[in-house]
Amino acid sequence: MLGQYLPVVALLVLAALFAALSFVASRLLAPRRPHDRKLAPYECGIIPSRETPERFPVRFYLVAMIFIVFDIEIIFFYPWAVAHRGIGLFGLVAVLIFSVAVFESFVYLIGNGALEWGPIAEVRQAVSRRFGSEVVRPGVRQVGLEGRDAGNPTIEGGP
Amino acid sequence: MFAQAETVATPEVLWWALVPLLVLAGAAVLLLTVASLVRRLPEWLPAAWTIVAGLAVLVSVVPLWNEVQDDGARSFLAGAVGIDGSTLFVTALLAVAVVATALLSRAYLTREDLPGVELYVLLLLSAAGGVVMASANDLIVLFLGLELLSIAVYVMAALHLRRIQSQEAALKYFVLGAFASAFLLYGIALVYGATGATGLARIAGYLSTTILLEDGMLMAGFGLLLVGLGFKVAAVPFHAWAPDVYQGAPTPVVAWMAAGVKAAGFAALLRVFVLTFGSWSGEWQPAVWGLAILTVLGGSVVAVVQTDVKRMLAYSSIAHAGFLLVGVQAASDRGTAAVLTYLGVYTLLACGSFAVVTVVGGAGDDRHGIDAYRGLGARRPWLAGAFAVLLLGQAGVPFTAGFVAKFGVIAAATEGHSYALAGIAMVSAAVAAFVYLRILVALYMEDRHLEDDDEAGAVEVDPAPWGPRIVITVSVALVLVLGVVPGPLVDLAKDAVPVLVGG
Amino acid sequence: MSVLASASPTFPVLPALILTPLFGALLVVLGPRRRPELLKLTAVLATVATGALSLWVLLAFDAGGEGFQFASRHAWIGELGISWLFGVDGISLFLIVLTGILFPIAILATDPGHDSRAYYAWMLVLEGGVMGVFASLDLVMFFLCFEIVLVPMYFLIGRWGHGNRTYAATKFFLYTMAGSALMLVGIVSLAFLHADATGGALTFDLVAIAEAQSIATETARWLFLAFALAFAVKVPIFPLHTWLPDAHTEAPTAGSVILAGVLLKLGTYGFLRFGLYLFPEATHHFAPVFLVLGVVGIVYGAVVATMQKDLKRLVAYSSVAHLGFIILGTFALNTEGIEGGLLQMVNHGISTGALFLLVGMIYERRRTRQIDELGGLQKSAPLLAGVFMVVMLSSIGLPGLNGFVGEFLVLVGTFNAHRWYAVVAAGGVVLAALYLLWAYQRVFHGPAEGDNADMPDLCLREGLVLAPLLALIVVLGVYPKPVIERMEPAVDALVEHIERHVDGFEEPTSRMGIDISPDGPLDGPADSEEGH
Repeated sequence: MLGQYLPVVALLVLAALFAALSFVASRLLAPRRPHDRKLAPYECGIIPSRETPERFPVRFYLVAMIFIVFDIEIIFFYPWAVAHRGIGLFGLVAVLIFSVAVFESFVYLIGNGALEWGPIAEVRQAVSRRFGSEVVRPGVRQVGLEGRDAGNPTIEGGP
Repeated sequence: MFAQAETVATPEVLWWALVPLLVLAGAAVLLLTVASLVRRLPEWLPAAWTIVAGLAVLVSVVPLWNEVQDDGARSFLAGAVGIDGSTLFVTALLAVAVVATALLSRAYLTREDLPGVELYVLLLLSAAGGVVMASANDLIVLFLGLELLSIAVYVMAALHLRRIQSQEAALKYFVLGAFASAFLLYGIALVYGATGATGLARIAGYLSTTILLEDGMLMAGFGLLLVGLGFKVAAVPFHAWAPDVYQGAPTPVVAWMAAGVKAAGFAALLRVFVLTFGSWSGEWQPAVWGLAILTVLGGSVVAVVQTDVKRMLAYSSIAHAGFLLVGVQAASDRGTAAVLTYLGVYTLLACGSFAVVTVVGGAGDDRHGIDAYRGLGARRPWLAGAFAVLLLGQAGVPFTAGFVAKFGVIAAATEGHSYALAGIAMVSAAVAAFVYLRILVALYMEDRHLEDDDEAGAVEVDPAPWGPRIVITVSVALVLVLGVVPGPLVDLAKDAVPVLVGG
Repeated sequence: MSVLASASPTFPVLPALILTPLFGALLVVLGPRRRPELLKLTAVLATVATGALSLWVLLAFDAGGEGFQFASRHAWIGELGISWLFGVDGISLFLIVLTGILFPIAILATDPGHDSRAYYAWMLVLEGGVMGVFASLDLVMFFLCFEIVLVPMYFLIGRWGHGNRTYAATKFFLYTMAGSALMLVGIVSLAFLHADATGGALTFDLVAIAEAQSIATETARWLFLAFALAFAVKVPIFPLHTWLPDAHTEAPTAGSVILAGVLLKLGTYGFLRFGLYLFPEATHHFAPVFLVLGVVGIVYGAVVATMQKDLKRLVAYSSVAHLGFIILGTFALNTEGIEGGLLQMVNHGISTGALFLLVGMIYERRRTRQIDELGGLQKSAPLLAGVFMVVMLSSIGLPGLNGFVGEFLVLVGTFNAHRWYAVVAAGGVVLAALYLLWAYQRVFHGPAEGDNADMPDLCLREGLVLAPLLALIVVLGVYPKPVIERMEPAVDALVEHIERHVDGFEEPTSRMGIDISPDGPLDGPADSEEGH
């Protein structure tokens, strides 16, 4: 019964072998002539002019997430487009419900200024207008420290 | 390359049976869209909208209930979704919890000066997830519902932006919840592997007609499902998240966690274990037996040493989960009805208790130490009286609904000859009573020394806004009325015993 | 009387006994907060009305009648076979009357001092619960009332008690709740097993279950233990008694009166009604254990009482001893013993209730209960001293006063059944004389110094409150026949029930030839000894 998985195992072994072999071969065969340019980090062939910035503005991630929304939508639309004749009205209703949900989340993102670019001060202002002034950074081990000690039970003393 | 597709047989949809779900999800989507497009929404609108949606669900459940009672349970969407008495019973409970949470949230958000729409949207979505769980006729659908319910609650727990505890609670809840989901999913996979189906009716049919020579995979599947659902309902030893999350999350959200999430979790437990794996009850009953004992004892005993009222109530909610497990363990119709009754009563008790906690918590939502309650009986007699009734109800004192609930599960356990379990549950109820007594002592019996130096010692409690006031009044009234006239609730729960249809 | 008896079936008097105080509680809650005297009036009226109803039950009670009278039944949770089922027989009759009499006295005797509205409301709820316990014939109803009694008593001790009240209240609540936890499991198991065995529907009807005796012997013994634990805590029987001195000492005066007078009887009544009647075989099987514990309680209570420095605590420990007598009589399993136990329940309620009232009065005047700090009160308050002496003598069991009749019957019953227990228990009577007389001597005799010298005597209100109790003490001591007459059929039926269902058990009857039937010579000695 497990025999049917044998090709998969064989392929796995082959892939691992190939990878290991490539590394070993290049190590053994390649000529070794290092110089500055070769040792520098690769950045599309351009010589890096400064250290990479440590932080990206979080907005980049937001854009990426919005992109994922559309990505997922496409993933579902494509098979529906292929099969829409077969599944008819049922499929149409289903895909409509789905796209309403997707677009609705998109509307929410836009409405909350997810795509607002501009001077950082302005964005900050917009955020604080919406969510109030100070927003704390999440941390761990703040909850449950107080009140966790088995201190003074209400009954004191004996008879 | 694109061949002309054959017409595929599409599953039938009983739209009328989906009305509660559609109302909840539709209300959520509409609210979010409107709130995103309209710049200045009146402050009261989201809460009012949520309350209307909750009430609409309650109203829509009535004709569905009559339909199900007259014509029996149905399943549709190719047997993936079912509708029966328990579905509607739990749906109604969720709707009640939604209305109560919305009433509490409005006051809470105003007091804490927080932006509000998201809380209501997530609440509605979470409730929709709960309804999906209660109507799931397929393990995959069950999982979908669970995720919809849980993910919304993770975010709700983090909604108090200025309280670091709130963020931490959300993070803990999320990590452990994801863990639990993984267990559940793995359990589903193993059960599928053992039975070749994910539909509950098919699994039940397979299990009752087939003799398995090797049941290791099935047993592992049972175990993992139990662990996953055990996490959700906070059963010991999978309860570690509950106290921290209850303490950190915004109090109205905690009311929803205690009432709504627990109801949905137990609806799932009943559907999967009692209903689907019913013919194999001998195999999983011992596990639930142990889990129930650990949970009642653990919840009660650990609650005793807490000094924070929210944590006390968290542990007491764990103990309540233990009592519910006692009913699940019975694996009988009486046990199921008892669990449903208990859920109904606990929804009231949890909403009412956390409403009081919301009021006493005060601006900043951090006055939850037992000191905040000291002498409340003298300064706010009605609030203290209401809390006293709710606490006595949680303790299971006669002539409150809490007794009716406990009596039901004890009766179910003894009918199933689980005398030891029933005995241990009752003893731990007596232990838990000590917890409620401590709060009562603070409320009523330590006021004398405060009268002398009122300015120095007493914590002033703001008058309750109308939202919590309504929740407290209604829950207290119902707790008392159901304690004296429990017949209607018990009969409803009896009619709500779930059945499996389709496949 | 006959008119009333014929009218009784039309009027549901037992539900009225429960609902009248509850209705009064509602009135009090809705009453004006700033007018405590109005609230007190409402409470007094409600309890007096309840008392009147209980007296009416007494008058309308058919003395020779078998079985339960004034029965009424309404379904509560039909699906589970639970119903509001009430009835009275000779066993519960006098406890109901005792409750009806003690409550107005307790409410009249003292004022709470603060939060009157809540105080009177809780007192009335308490009365409703107690009436419910004595009148219920449905196991679940009984349990409901048995448990609900805790809540008002908890608040009464905790809010209006003395120094260590929070501790005492919490201890009281937890002990009793933990004790009765298993009883609920026992009740439910019993009902399910009964339904299984008889094939009938689920029912919690006491009479149906008790008469069928459908439970296997071994199982019945376990169930009996589940019940017995709850009752033993409530009584309390010796090793489980530690909550009692605390609760009694810290409770407000009215609370102590009710606690001693009525609440402790819930346990002993429970043994009679739900131990002996439901599980005759198990009762017989375990009787030696309870006899031993009863005797231990008598001696232990007496010895510890002797050593107390606090007058109220002394009375509290004397309760442990008296309740030991009741347990002894109950588990002697013969007519004399059970009747004696029943009488002793009533007598203890009257005399210990009165003792607590008197101690409360002394405390109100002197702000102390320490025996050392009192002394010579006889000179400043002769009336108080006189009343105290009568009540104390009744508590000791002096012939001619009510305490004697009960204790005597218990001893006779025990002697017939188990001679040596009776001998030891009789020693307890001597000890009772020792600690009470000694306490009396230290408090009332001797030179009066300081505040003791000018302590005011009883006022009119206090005299009026004590008068009915004194009257009962004397009347029941001199002429207990009407009481015994009404108890007899029920007790006989109970003993017969035990004989019928326990193989080889025969009622240990009188070997001394003492005839205690109503027409017997018992009235004689009581009369002749009145002069002592």
